[in-house]
Amino acid sequence: MEKLIIEETEDTPEIILDPEQNIFKISKISVPENALDFYKPVLEWIKEYAERPNVQTVFEFDLEYVNTASSKQVIQVILQLQKVAEKSDVKVRWYYESIDEDMKALGNRYKKLVSVPFELVEIE
Amino acid sequence: MTTELGSKLFDIAYPLFQRISNDDFEYVYRGYFSHNITKKILFLADTNISKVTSQQTLQKRIYYIMVEGLQNITRHQDEIANLNTEKYPGIFAIQKNGERYYISTGNIVANENIPALKEKLDTINSLNPDELKKFHREMLTTGSMSDKGGAGLGLIEMSRKSGNKLLYSFEQLDDEYTYFYLQTLIPNDKNYGANDTEGQPTKGHSSLNSVKQLHKQMNNENLLLYFNGFFNQENLLSLLAIIKGRMNMPLTTIKVSNVMVEMLQNIIKHGNRRDSTSAGVSGVFFMGQTGKEIMLTSGNIIKNEAKDVIAERLEFVNGMSKDELSDYYDDILLDFDTADAKKTGLGFSDLRIKSDRPLKYRFMNINDDQQFYILQTAVTIKN
Repeated sequence: MEKLIIEETEDTPEIILDPEQNIFKISKISVPENALDFYKPVLEWIKEYAERPNVQTVFEFDLEYVNTASSKQVIQVILQLQKVAEKSDVKVRWYYESIDEDMKALGNRYKKLVSVPFELVEIE
Repeated sequence: MTTELGSKLFDIAYPLFQRISNDDFEYVYRGYFSHNITKKILFLADTNISKVTSQQTLQKRIYYIMVEGLQNITRHQDEIANLNTEKYPGIFAIQKNGERYYISTGNIVANENIPALKEKLDTINSLNPDELKKFHREMLTTGSMSDKGGAGLGLIEMSRKSGNKLLYSFEQLDDEYTYFYLQTLIPNDKNYGANDTEGQPTKGHSSLNSVKQLHKQMNNENLLLYFNGFFNQENLLSLLAIIKGRMNMPLTTIKVSNVMVEMLQNIIKHGNRRDSTSAGVSGVFFMGQTGKEIMLTSGNIIKNEAKDVIAERLEFVNGMSKDELSDYYDDILLDFDTADAKKTGLGFSDLRIKSDRPLKYRFMNINDDQQFYILQTAVTIKN
């Protein structure tokens, strides 16, 4: 499957969805005004990937800021990963800076709401 | 819950908003000027100027004068390094007033340095452009302004680039220190070279006196940042970067940033233009500090009919316990029928959860169609 790479902008994250390298990562900053449109191709890509996923899929979120509009799309991404988990060993890793209790709280909220293995990783 | 400062800040929101009109703006930073913050301020100012003018030479001129002005502050700051800069914070202001731009700085100088500084300024102001050019060359080659030569060169350049006299004022604080205010007027391309200082308005938000009053007010209310102008994504990101530059309180800084994202996007999404000539959504945003709290206050124009919806949502969010709110938040996250987060009060819920206190608000009648809507919350300082 073709990889999906979206470069970061001032208000949207970097997206790396690369089955060949086995890297699945959303990072940097996600505060767009229109999160719905931004995440649409991401969700479509994962939907397609769910049909023939890798044996293992470690999906990483390493975000500095997430606005509420994005938080609603991010949970969509994670729920879509539940579909991937039907055929792949899926793990979600949620990174947060040790001083960012809001990012930690958001990770914990997602962890509670979804069924895929969800790990919070504190970084300095 | 209402702190004295909190209610005071409510009261000043609209008067601050009213300081400017049309597509004018003023952005003021008060505090310590680190290299990092200086960089972010430049970026914020530059992106905003590019929004309201397409004159690239003007943009460059403003940028150049901002750099000199900021360097002027940091230089003086270093000279009085033994002094607690938190006690006497400096100020940097960029303002647009009609066709003109104003860069103002205010910072502490030692009283003993004032005569030399005043002499430099008066010398520069007495010279015509040709003489100034010659003077500049002399300074470069002889360096006769000795150890403080850098400052002298910066002032010469500010005057040369603006094509105007430098306005200045001293406000003595005590036997040792004085606030030194410096203002440069930058005309647009059309008026450039006409030595525009004659046209300096003595009224309006950009007069040196008004900037001094503003500095006094910001000192009194302990405001760290005051932003009056357009609200858009670029400004939000620049403001975030400026806040992040104040990393002496990392925990608080991150919390403030997270709260600010929602607060300002709320304005970007729902706010109205100041009037038909405005180039974007207008509003005012400022941050003040009490002993234990950073207060964040925003004010913007909304349509009359939006008032009840906003009030209802705020009351709803404020009326819930922490647990209820958390459950409600989960519900909205998983409610995909309302894909549009703004219809559900997700932003308000988020603000309330992150700031961990009820959101305070006030509406003021402006006219038959519009309300001024003030929203305030705070973050407890912890490190």
